[in-house]
Amino acid sequence: MKRLNSILSKVLGIDESLITDKTSPQNVDAWDSFNGLLLVSELEKEFNVKFTMDEVMSVKCVKDIKECLKRHGIRLLG
Amino acid sequence: MDNLKKIIKIISSKSINGVADYISLYKEIRQEIENAQLQEQKGIKKIKLAILSSFTINGIKEVLSVKCCEIGVLPEFYIGNYNQYSQEILNKQSGFYKFEPDLAIVFIDIMAVLGEQYLLPYQISDKQRREWADEKLNEILSLIQKIKENLSAKVIIHNFEAPLRSPMGIYEGKHKLGFIESIELLNANLRESFKNDSQVFVFDYNSFCSKIGKQNIMDYKLYYLADMKIDLQYIPKLCDEYLGYIKPLMALNKKCIALDLDNILWGGIIGEDGLEGIRLGPTPEGMPFLEFQKYLLSLFQRGIILAVNSNNNIDDALRVFREHPYMALKEEHFAAMQINWNDKISNMKAIAEELNIGLDSIAFIDDDKLNREMIRKALPEVLVVELPEDSSLYLKTLMEMNDFNTFHITEEDKKKGSMYAEQRKRKEFHKNALDISEYLKGLEMTATIERANSFTIPRISQLTQKTNQFNMTTRRYLEEDIQKFSKNGRFLVVSVKVEDKFGDNGITGAAIVEKNIALENNIAAWRIDTFLLSCRVIGRKIEEALLAYIIKLAKKEKAKELIGEFIPTKKNVPARDFYKSNGFKLANIDNGREIWIYNMDKGYAHPDFIKVIIKEEN
Repeated sequence: MKRLNSILSKVLGIDESLITDKTSPQNVDAWDSFNGLLLVSELEKEFNVKFTMDEVMSVKCVKDIKECLKRHGIRLLG
Repeated sequence: MDNLKKIIKIISSKSINGVADYISLYKEIRQEIENAQLQEQKGIKKIKLAILSSFTINGIKEVLSVKCCEIGVLPEFYIGNYNQYSQEILNKQSGFYKFEPDLAIVFIDIMAVLGEQYLLPYQISDKQRREWADEKLNEILSLIQKIKENLSAKVIIHNFEAPLRSPMGIYEGKHKLGFIESIELLNANLRESFKNDSQVFVFDYNSFCSKIGKQNIMDYKLYYLADMKIDLQYIPKLCDEYLGYIKPLMALNKKCIALDLDNILWGGIIGEDGLEGIRLGPTPEGMPFLEFQKYLLSLFQRGIILAVNSNNNIDDALRVFREHPYMALKEEHFAAMQINWNDKISNMKAIAEELNIGLDSIAFIDDDKLNREMIRKALPEVLVVELPEDSSLYLKTLMEMNDFNTFHITEEDKKKGSMYAEQRKRKEFHKNALDISEYLKGLEMTATIERANSFTIPRISQLTQKTNQFNMTTRRYLEEDIQKFSKNGRFLVVSVKVEDKFGDNGITGAAIVEKNIALENNIAAWRIDTFLLSCRVIGRKIEEALLAYIIKLAKKEKAKELIGEFIPTKKNVPARDFYKSNGFKLANIDNGREIWIYNMDKGYAHPDFIKVIIKEEN
């Protein structure tokens, strides 16, 4: 969770404490299409995974990201 | 604290590990950058960068802004509208031109150039492909020409990434003009088109992609989702390439490399290991140092000055230079050598003084972390190279530096390194000569005077830009200006090349003379617009030889008077008495500008110890 939150915080410019499963482009101004793709790029780098295009398009909130990572074998602690 | 310093402080307090770090850092310093731009602060380096591209290049502005601030340059950007590069270039009223950039980067990607052909290259014949390649080249050349008509900025045009694969597979190379070859042809033609252009530079994007790996350069998801043609993670590396152009534009390029000796030019410590014990030569331990030396030598050969800053017994160190069979670098390659037991800070200052260059022109290479830290703290203007511990990485580290770039390298520049050694020999000779006339005669000087031509024009322009001391009028001219003068029959533009028995000084003097100017009293007169000598050859009466040539020519063409202007500046004191001591009379002072007149009825002889050769046009 820490690594994920740290990346979300860095890319979206929001405080880690404010990140919940419901955090999404709807409630975070900075989560625009470019930052969304930057998130994809950073997460792939950090967790050494490659998301599919479908997965990227299907992610709508932080919860979706966590599910995605889980499907790639990443266990998020905490 | 001024804003730029504040920005640099913020940047150096963060750890930057990738593109997201740059972008989030940019958001932090963005306001400070805007504040700094509003301040009217003197002496701050500023750059206006325009980037036009055929695809989405989000991220470049943020990353490059941080990188510019890191090197002490305040950036301002104009990013062209998405895929509007053609329109922006063709429209004189476009935001691109209104912005008046210092540097314009044009990045057209291969898919934009090829269109359908990128995936369907064999829809057309080889013949049609050749026509297509010519057409594309002309399109691009026209666009660049349009930019040149409207901007004097330096222009960087990306060349094209030659595709990795073709549907033809291994048969690709058998075509008369295959798909991949046509891109290579386009790139070759692009390069050829700008070889003689001092304003436009072709950035070898094809080579950059190979460096990253063409297999890696694009993330297909990002391409399909957002038309991004380069993976976000490689944007910092691309920006590093752009710094290669920004640094010389901001005069941040380094002219001199100061080197430690032990564990830099050879493995081991000469004072302890002795000549036989140090590692240098064609063995596994010696090769890294030998090749490192050779690369330094190649930089010397294109005009980078080398210096030594080492704590050693000078005899031990010189012994290696003089006796070791594998030294690629010899004493003559070094412009200055501070080999002693003084602190390296004092040595560095002494080197800068001896070579008459700023500390900010020097890059320092030393394997000792403490020395590096010490110089970094005491002399922050010096670039201290972060050398890896592994000597097998020395060569790579040096090759990857982009701090030595310049936009122009003349023949004189290439010889700069060797001129220092020659100058040392001249000084020795001077010390030993009985008097000044023995010294001057003994130099056996030859001055070759030649009318400006395409070979000498860049150097003449460079001299007008750089010469401050022996310069009568300090008028600065670009190459284009010198070209205009030399094409104009009413002007005489000449260069002077000085050689002596110690070596060739290169072109070190120039004059621009306006012929047959109309005077009120109808006297035919010539006017010396520009008359200068590089400080390298001051004090040897070369100026008299050049003046003699001008007078002789003026007499031949029936001029009655020769007018010399002198505009005093803080720096041209050495030239103050030139016209006075050579028979000119002060006629007038107009707003500080002195008008001196030479009456042609007088004779003038040039000094006899200089052999003057007049090179006529072929």
